Amino acid sequence: MDPVTSRPGRLLIHLALILFAIYSVVPFLWTALQSIKKLRDASSRTPKFLFTPTLENYEELWLRSTPDNPEALAFFLLLAFLLLICLLIFAQHVPLRRDLVYGAAILGLVALLWLIPQLLDTASFYDYFINTLIVTTGTIVVSIGIGCLAGYGLARYAGMLGVVVLIAALAFRALPRLAYVLPYYWIGSALNLIDSHILVIITLVAVNQPFTIWMLRSFFMEIPKDLEESAMVDGAGRLVAFLRVIIPVMWPGIVATALFTLLLAYNEFLLVRILTQTNWTLPVAISRFTGGEDPRHLTLAAAASVSATVPIVIVILFFQKQLVKGLAAGAVKG
Amino acid sequence: MERRVFLGFAGPSIVVMTLLMVLPLAMAIWLGMHFMTFDNVLEPQWVGLRNFTAALQDGRFWQSFGFTALYIGVVVPSWIVIGFVVALLLDQVTGFARGLYLSIFLLPFIIVPIVGTIMFRQLFEPSGLLRWLYQELLNERFRYTEQTVKSLILFHGIWYVTPFTLVVYFAGLQTLPQDLIEAAGIDGASRLQKIRHIVIPHVRSLTLFILLFSIMDSYRVFDSVFVLTGLNPLYKANTIMTYTFQTATQLERLGRANAMAVLTIIGIMVVLIPNLYLSWKEQIAER
Repeated sequence: MDPVTSRPGRLLIHLALILFAIYSVVPFLWTALQSIKKLRDASSRTPKFLFTPTLENYEELWLRSTPDNPEALAFFLLLAFLLLICLLIFAQHVPLRRDLVYGAAILGLVALLWLIPQLLDTASFYDYFINTLIVTTGTIVVSIGIGCLAGYGLARYAGMLGVVVLIAALAFRALPRLAYVLPYYWIGSALNLIDSHILVIITLVAVNQPFTIWMLRSFFMEIPKDLEESAMVDGAGRLVAFLRVIIPVMWPGIVATALFTLLLAYNEFLLVRILTQTNWTLPVAISRFTGGEDPRHLTLAAAASVSATVPIVIVILFFQKQLVKGLAAGAVKG
Repeated sequence: MERRVFLGFAGPSIVVMTLLMVLPLAMAIWLGMHFMTFDNVLEPQWVGLRNFTAALQDGRFWQSFGFTALYIGVVVPSWIVIGFVVALLLDQVTGFARGLYLSIFLLPFIIVPIVGTIMFRQLFEPSGLLRWLYQELLNERFRYTEQTVKSLILFHGIWYVTPFTLVVYFAGLQTLPQDLIEAAGIDGASRLQKIRHIVIPHVRSLTLFILLFSIMDSYRVFDSVFVLTGLNPLYKANTIMTYTFQTATQLERLGRANAMAVLTIIGIMVVLIPNLYLSWKEQIAER
């Protein structure tokens, strides 16, 4: 549309957008504020905006006992974490083979996650966080792995069977989750896999597969056929051409799809809730703070909500472009 | 690509989907014909179609169906209208401000739905900001009643998914044919007329897409209702999903819950079949 040029008009537009922004973030700001209040301040009937901030809610959530020198430990761990993240971001500029740098950074992060419970007396919330990481990573790897193969096949195969698979996937994507999850419970019980990561991962892969193959296919369709055909003329088989020629140019599409898979796995509640008993992921663990009479649940729920949101916000800040592009591509959501 | 090669590539994915989507669906029908609790999961007892008829005669099942329909009826049009209007406004902004607004607007949609609902709920706790505001402005105590809880669920639904429609419309506005707008401007069309006669027809196919997906997704609303009601029957605010979940976990009637899950599939067919038909036509045309 042609832009509004009058001064009052532009002012009104910004005013409306700012109001909508406030409406979007009020729950976040309020919860963040509640999470750094002492319980007494947080449960005051008239909202308190002046109070002494405290980290005791986070401490209670993440730690079983307070270490002797919390500041030094927190400083050291945060520093190590930031260094590794910087290494990941600036990997291109390190004068070493890039996959080596990535490997080292990821290995370092895993080591750090393993080190934390050795140094600190972590509470079960930390275990739920680790569970979430395992489930999310596992789902992304398996889902994108088999999804890339299928998405490529669907993009290049012109037969009727391809259409049938696509439409069937679309149909299954739309069905209510419970129609699968309850049978999964039966399967899990029969195989004695209830409460295991592997069951959660493989079922999450399955329920997200329709979405994954549709999205990856749409990215593969954008890649010209000549690319792998010229490689195949040079004597490479189709699989080799796919791995050597197509995948390297597909990275943006793979990253975008992985981003949505990450959100879907990280956010899943119903499936994890039914298929696990103690090995919860964060959404299920946090939902425990909503019921019950314990007054401390007020501030603990706030601290837990903020804790679960921060990683996602960080990821989104890095990948905002891919997210918007993926959403706009339309194949998304659910 | 030959069919054999295609099957080689798509094979793993097709196997996973068959084993973990097609098969479980058949299994849900089969389990729906059994009496099953958490104690006899592996030796369910055959009861034929009794679960299905019992679910259909269950007043609360229909009540939850009614609330789900109300949810769809209120929330989906709100997504479309608010999303479209805010997208038009956002389209007027350029540069850094645009990206900043977009990031903020996306927040409710990307965070964990359970967490988003908890954050929303924090505003209405006895010490919550909006509860306090409500009491100050209306001079009336805020209570959790059937009416307020249902309103909160609807309100949260609107808050949570509007970013999605907003982004889709916003992307649609970027492909608006500028020459049409200019021509209309030369002919003296007002801004509203341009929106009415150029922009809205331009985004019509997007609206259809949003409509179909929104209805299907809001039909299975679960997380927010679970958090806001705590499955308390007092609020009569069960949706189909939460009632089925409650039947499975609290009443431990797994067979009945399977039957209900299968029955809800019939409800979704109303929008699913047109959707599949459209996609089918599109795919055949694309080939």
